[in-house]
Amino acid sequence: MAISRRGFLKGVAGSGGLLLVSGVPLAQARMSTELPPQAVGLLYDATLCIGCKSCMVNCKAQNSVPGGALYKKGMKAPPYDSKGPKGYEGIWDAPQELTGKTLSIIKVYKNGTAEKKDTAINGYSFFKQQCLHCISPACVSVCPAGAFRKDPVNGSVYYLAERCIGCRYCQLACPFGVPRYEWDSAWPEVRKCQLCRHRYADGKYAACAEFCPTGATIFGKVVDLRNEARYRLTLKPGTEYDFPLKTVDSEEKSRRPVAGYVDGVYGLAEAGGTQNIMLSGVSFELLGFRKRIPHFDLPSLTWAYIKKVLWVFAGVFVGGTSLYAFTHRQEKEAGHD
Amino acid sequence: MSTSDALDSICRSLGGISRRDFLKFCSVMAVGMGLPLSAGARIAGAVANPRRPPVIWLSFQECTGCVESLLRSNHPSLEHLILDLISLDYSETLSAAAGRQAEEAKAKSIQENKGKFVLVVDGAIPTRDNGIYCKVAGRTALDILNETAPHAAAIVAMGSCASWGGVAASGPNPTGAKGVPEIVANRTVVTIPGCPPNPYNLLSTILYYVSFNKLPELDPQGRPKFAFSRLIHENCERRPHFDAGRFAEQFGDGLHRKGGCLYKLGCKGPETYANCPTVLFGDTGAGTWPVGVGHPCFGCAEKGVGFSTPLHQLATLKELTPPVFFGEAFPNKPGVSPGIKTFAAGTAGVVVGVAGGAMLTGLGAKKGSGLDHPHGQDEKDARDKEE
Amino acid sequence: MIDTSRYVGQKLGGVINRFMADEYRLSDIDATRFAGRKLGGVINKLLDDSPSKDLGIKMVTPFTLVLVALLGLAAVVGAYRLVFGIGAASNLNDLWPWGLWIGFDVLGGVAMAAGAFLIAAAVYILNWKKYKCIARASILNAFFGYLLAAISITLDIGRSFVIWHPLVMWQINSVMFIVALHLVLYLTTLGTESSPMVFEKLGWHRALHFVSRIMVGAVMFGVALSLLHQSSLGANYLIVPEKLSPLWYSHLLPYHFLVSAVMLGLAIVSFETLLTGKVFNHEPPREVVEGLARGVLIIGAVYLVMKIVHLVTGPGIGAALDGSFLANLYLIEMTVGVILPLALLSRRSVRTNLERIFVVDIMVILGVLMNRMDIGVFGVSEYATRSGGDYFPSYMEFTLTAGMIAFAILGFKFCAKYLPLFPESHQ
Repeated sequence: MAISRRGFLKGVAGSGGLLLVSGVPLAQARMSTELPPQAVGLLYDATLCIGCKSCMVNCKAQNSVPGGALYKKGMKAPPYDSKGPKGYEGIWDAPQELTGKTLSIIKVYKNGTAEKKDTAINGYSFFKQQCLHCISPACVSVCPAGAFRKDPVNGSVYYLAERCIGCRYCQLACPFGVPRYEWDSAWPEVRKCQLCRHRYADGKYAACAEFCPTGATIFGKVVDLRNEARYRLTLKPGTEYDFPLKTVDSEEKSRRPVAGYVDGVYGLAEAGGTQNIMLSGVSFELLGFRKRIPHFDLPSLTWAYIKKVLWVFAGVFVGGTSLYAFTHRQEKEAGHD
Repeated sequence: MSTSDALDSICRSLGGISRRDFLKFCSVMAVGMGLPLSAGARIAGAVANPRRPPVIWLSFQECTGCVESLLRSNHPSLEHLILDLISLDYSETLSAAAGRQAEEAKAKSIQENKGKFVLVVDGAIPTRDNGIYCKVAGRTALDILNETAPHAAAIVAMGSCASWGGVAASGPNPTGAKGVPEIVANRTVVTIPGCPPNPYNLLSTILYYVSFNKLPELDPQGRPKFAFSRLIHENCERRPHFDAGRFAEQFGDGLHRKGGCLYKLGCKGPETYANCPTVLFGDTGAGTWPVGVGHPCFGCAEKGVGFSTPLHQLATLKELTPPVFFGEAFPNKPGVSPGIKTFAAGTAGVVVGVAGGAMLTGLGAKKGSGLDHPHGQDEKDARDKEE
Repeated sequence: MIDTSRYVGQKLGGVINRFMADEYRLSDIDATRFAGRKLGGVINKLLDDSPSKDLGIKMVTPFTLVLVALLGLAAVVGAYRLVFGIGAASNLNDLWPWGLWIGFDVLGGVAMAAGAFLIAAAVYILNWKKYKCIARASILNAFFGYLLAAISITLDIGRSFVIWHPLVMWQINSVMFIVALHLVLYLTTLGTESSPMVFEKLGWHRALHFVSRIMVGAVMFGVALSLLHQSSLGANYLIVPEKLSPLWYSHLLPYHFLVSAVMLGLAIVSFETLLTGKVFNHEPPREVVEGLARGVLIIGAVYLVMKIVHLVTGPGIGAALDGSFLANLYLIEMTVGVILPLALLSRRSVRTNLERIFVVDIMVILGVLMNRMDIGVFGVSEYATRSGGDYFPSYMEFTLTAGMIAFAILGFKFCAKYLPLFPESHQ
């Protein structure tokens, strides 16, 4: 095997240099763990939720327009999970789970006789399941083709179907089990809430917040929502409070007694923090949020591995070259130099 | 005593008017009540021979709405009720007599029927300043009730005012109005709240008592369970719209005209126990109740809701088990699901089986057999075989 | 033998009959009649099976026919899946997005192909000449292993026709992006490492010379790529600490994958060497196999220590012994794949007996494949069950997997017949 020593060393030095240089943009490509400047989100207060599902109905309707998360060219009506009589499908739509057609769903936690609202024993609580728009989303970090993106300004996590290859790694990675797949399609998409970002240009906001009658779901800047949530926790249960409707800074209010909250605000630190936060009268674990979800951002776990990749190349080439030179030294001496 | 003898006795006691004149009078009464002419004879018979259970109806801080409601019953019709089924011995609204005559008739009935009559009360009872804010025949409502109630076989509070104070007790309640159960605390008081309640709730209760000699099943607040054990929310015909999020946002808007749910307009159906959506009002067909005609329920029957919470304030959901069509938030099934268990067990089985089989057949191989023979042995064996 | 001329006519039937009776070989076809002189010449050379004459490889055997049938069925399933979607062809669902195809075909297939880079590195960089005779076979073995994984993953993703997206749409935070990139690069590298065989057969000496010059660089590139993508398959699961059972989850998961892949790679190369010895008329090189066995012993010991350290510093040894379903799977995987093989290999009587080494190889292969299934499919089951999820592969999934395995075996056999895989056989 005739390789000149000089040529080889040149090659190694060159590749080593190249690797070090390329390490610079590498650092910047790492995902941010900071809240974006104009980050918006939702505050869901389970104690205010009455299970009317107005949010679900309007979410489907508003996302089935061009730009919406459910939009497919040529669609005449929102996609429904349940089949009903022709022309009346929407009336019979009763999804039990998030699906490729349902981006947000109201579920219920029941225990025993389920008589008292927002009570863990012999009680029930409603619960809105949807994407929490993490600050450092696992789904964005694991997508091999970069189909999931996080908006750098408002922080909404959105989906570019034209890039997706359908590997479903996002479904595995999401700690909250949010992304859903169009299993019965030959050209499937991943579907999840995108915070109605297609409505922002018109001055509108998330449809679920706009149509919630009780103010259980409100929209606003994450900073304001966090303050509102923390404030509600300081109120004594039973005191009357003017809950804002639709948006956190709305003039429209609904006065009612404050319920007893449990477990604080969910989403301040879980999975590194989420832009959609929640309050509840029953423990979040009963609603399906596992205690094992770490309180730091998940992408950092894989970044610890990825930042070593180029070093492996460098190491193998450097080490391999030295080993080769060592093991072939007799041949070199015997053969030509 | 036969009917004719009884009639004679009454004619004598009425100052000797002829039987004919008395019957004429009864016919006029009948017509005045909107009853057919033939009812006159029945009225006369009823007056003459009251073997029907006696009912005393006391009215206090009331608007007469509850009596009006009673007047609109069809089954039993009012004349069938008061002529054939019960003996309404005292009613300020319906008595033909007035003044001292009426009071004396009441006293006499109570005296004769001690422990046997049904006492129906409508209107609240003021308690402030010794109850002077409602007086009948010079006596306070409070005194009248306290005097009459002990002798009644059963006490029924008709309407929200008598049940828990109603509109009379709405803030700031200057007269200290209270419901009957708060005044007559030592007895079971049947309450039929509503403003006004459907008359059939009252009539069913009274006729039940009269037929079976016991009260129907009551809840802790004294409300008959057959009428008041369900929230309006549970039986409302607009419930599917609530469950699908179709709300009217303003009176007259699109969804309002299409019959959408009125929750956002302040409907108190989710926190009011009553049977309005089922029995409706007035026997005139479907939708003859407030929500049905497009106005949100304001909880007239529910203490703490009607006449206290603002009309358009959003209702809370009272004790109500959510319907089954909601998905479960977190099934929290322990262990491992069956499909995976089978799959994993199968895989483990294959692994153990193949490994075990390999070990059993391969490990015992002696050195020099099979694969394990020194190089060149093949040819040596073949040559040996040939030889 | 069936007389096919009754079904397909005299001429075609006659050809097929003779082919099935092994009287008519592909090398008898003169391709220049169909493809022109130049291309025909190339094809003729490739289909010349003289190199493997001594091996006595019969292409048409009952076993091969079964494999062809499986492959045909898998092709049908693959087409069905492409037309009707994954939901129609599999039982995967939103709570179990990854199942048999990922757990076995991709994770297992890639792990089984780890032998190539080890042997290539041993021969070309460490200059351990005694392994040269198995180098070609192991590289080809790996090539088919990766093809198996690549085809399976192409069919597993929902949008198969855009599988090339990650190569041009980079997203460097994603481990799967690394895997995709490396898979493509490594297939190319394996192709390069396998090309000398083909060039030799075709007699293209200039190409052969060129490839020999870049071989060392290619091998080093292959080593780096292999180290990375073997470990990155483990790194895939770093992001699910709350889902993967603590029996397996560790921040050192990539290293666990790498070491077990190396162990498996050595075992598979040994297994394949011994198997071709049994099946083809070919002498397995004793020193090579014994050397590989020693390698398995050492790497296996390292792996065992890693796993024990992981248990001790993590969920505790008790977690593996508590009798729960996942604990039992873990014990089976470790016992069959690591503990028993190490116990056996530690005895000289096993290490020097080729038949016994064969048994140990089988056990290591089974154990590591089970490990991949445990991490890829079963390890998340407690988490997914709590959410109400369940999964059992559909018959189409099993068919496709079986077909892929058939493809790998058939492919290897085909190449063994027509390419100079075993150098001493044409000495």
